[in-house]
Amino acid sequence: MSIHFLFPKPAFSAGNNDQKDQDGDVDMFVRAQRDNFESKVVTPGQVITADTQYMRGHGTYLNEEESSHISSVAGVVERVNKLITVRPLHTRYTGNIGDLVIGRITEVTNKRWKVDINSRQDAVLLLSAINLPGGVQRRKTEADELQMRKFFAEGDLLAAEFQGSFNDGSTSLHTRNLKYGKLRNGSLIVVPPALVQRCKTHFHTLSCGVDVTLGLNGYIWVSKHSSKNLDELDPEAIYSNDNEPVDRSTRETIARVCNCINALSRHFMCITDTIIAYAYEASLKYPVKDLLKLEAMEFVTTEVRHKLSVVRSIY
Amino acid sequence: MAPVLISALEADYILKGIDDNLRADGRGRLDYREVILETGLITQAHGSARCRLGEGTDVLVGVKVDIGTVDIDGTEEEVATVKAKRGRVVCNVECSPIASQQFAGRGADDINNELTQMMSRVLNGPQGGLNLEKLCIIPGKACWIVYIDALVLDYAGNIVDTMFMTTRAALFNTQVPKAIIHDLGDGEVEFDLSEDVEEWERIEGWEHVPISVTLNKIGSRHIVDATPLEELTTEAKLHVMVNRNGKICGIQKSGSGSIEHSLLNEMVQEEYDINEKRMRNKPVEKLGFFAAT
Repeated sequence: MSIHFLFPKPAFSAGNNDQKDQDGDVDMFVRAQRDNFESKVVTPGQVITADTQYMRGHGTYLNEEESSHISSVAGVVERVNKLITVRPLHTRYTGNIGDLVIGRITEVTNKRWKVDINSRQDAVLLLSAINLPGGVQRRKTEADELQMRKFFAEGDLLAAEFQGSFNDGSTSLHTRNLKYGKLRNGSLIVVPPALVQRCKTHFHTLSCGVDVTLGLNGYIWVSKHSSKNLDELDPEAIYSNDNEPVDRSTRETIARVCNCINALSRHFMCITDTIIAYAYEASLKYPVKDLLKLEAMEFVTTEVRHKLSVVRSIY
Repeated sequence: MAPVLISALEADYILKGIDDNLRADGRGRLDYREVILETGLITQAHGSARCRLGEGTDVLVGVKVDIGTVDIDGTEEEVATVKAKRGRVVCNVECSPIASQQFAGRGADDINNELTQMMSRVLNGPQGGLNLEKLCIIPGKACWIVYIDALVLDYAGNIVDTMFMTTRAALFNTQVPKAIIHDLGDGEVEFDLSEDVEEWERIEGWEHVPISVTLNKIGSRHIVDATPLEELTTEAKLHVMVNRNGKICGIQKSGSGSIEHSLLNEMVQEEYDINEKRMRNKPVEKLGFFAAT
């Protein structure tokens, strides 16, 4: 008796792709079969596809025996033509040119500063890449090189823009705009970099009266609202080490916003200015220090999710 | 990732906030973060507990009791006779590198030593709480040695308080096997361990083990339960260990700053008051090992 193996028949007919049933619904399962691994969430060791026509990118490797692509990180599969990559959810910040990042100076060396931006390596901020006091177009002098700590010392927080990468992979920053530079009058929150989405501007002013600077590397600065225009900013004062006086109600609002951002990051929700505003409104129910408790964080994040689903259903 | 550097502007902001009794996360100067404490997680250990303070500091403590010989070498006769009738406590604290980047490599050696010595001195001292006499099996020969191992899994400020709370909870959870002593005559004594798990007893004296309150001096004020940024602006720290009867069992100062005499009195008194309240209602939530991630 010869044994003959039959391959399983697909449960759907692959002919008419956009079949609608009586409710007008389209069978999404059919459409998904065509690119059956795109936007799939994978874990390390999971097979992405057994099709060898694809090239493997970051986050994947090839299993020799079965010639299948396997993910090496936990994340979302992305496909560009023939290239498969896996974008991990929890990773160090990998920069793109033009990103706003917030960094902390770790070292002052010859004509440059080393800045920690929550990435695999410290970034480099060249002396020629900052605004020198006394006019934006002033050339740097030797006196400037010897007095680098007058501008930025170790430990200082600054907002900078990602300029580019060197050959060895290290990245360089610049603060050639007056809106970048030393951060003052507030406090820092650290969240996973994947939660901060790229948008048109990263300097937001919330309706409650605080400024939020969303660094794409996961460092977020919440500070008192600075009402000065860019033209009125005194170039001499941008490197001063003095805070403006902050009154108690502003301090409380800053603390509340910080706790809201903390709650959002604990529940792995995206952080944008609208979401922070929703979270702020939801958090008004609790006194500020109670927002550190688990139940308060749960409440705030469920409220935010609810509001987001309401907003989405309108569109 | 806990920062090891802080900018002058952030430090100034924190200082002014503390002056105003409103810290960066909205707490007052004497407010603790939420405590989530759990016992009995490690089945192979005789006792265990894990404590999370807020969403940050995480300490895991395991207690094992083992038979050992009494250590009386090199001590004078009076001390030796006392020591012959007691068990002892051996502590070990380790800050895991996963807790913070500053603990990687040899970075944690200093702080491990400091914490180990602190725990050892408190628990082996006269106010340690545990009934060490009960831990003796055969005077002069065999006794129970209580090995307490603490592992700091995550760092967000205030390791000492969390460590003592977890140790006390782990000791609450510790069960000591029963030793049955056989007298063979002629002064010879032998002992056996009872196989019956039901006969294991809770370690005696756990409720008298002290817990600590750490006050950090910042500017001219002091705060409890500091976050890592606040700890970086601290000039000096004072740890006060108080037990449930309200007696002070130990005081230790760390940090390179100095505390004035009047401030010292005030701080000790406040810590004593805080400790009273905390001893009365210890918040306990049963959530499971990974619940508070």
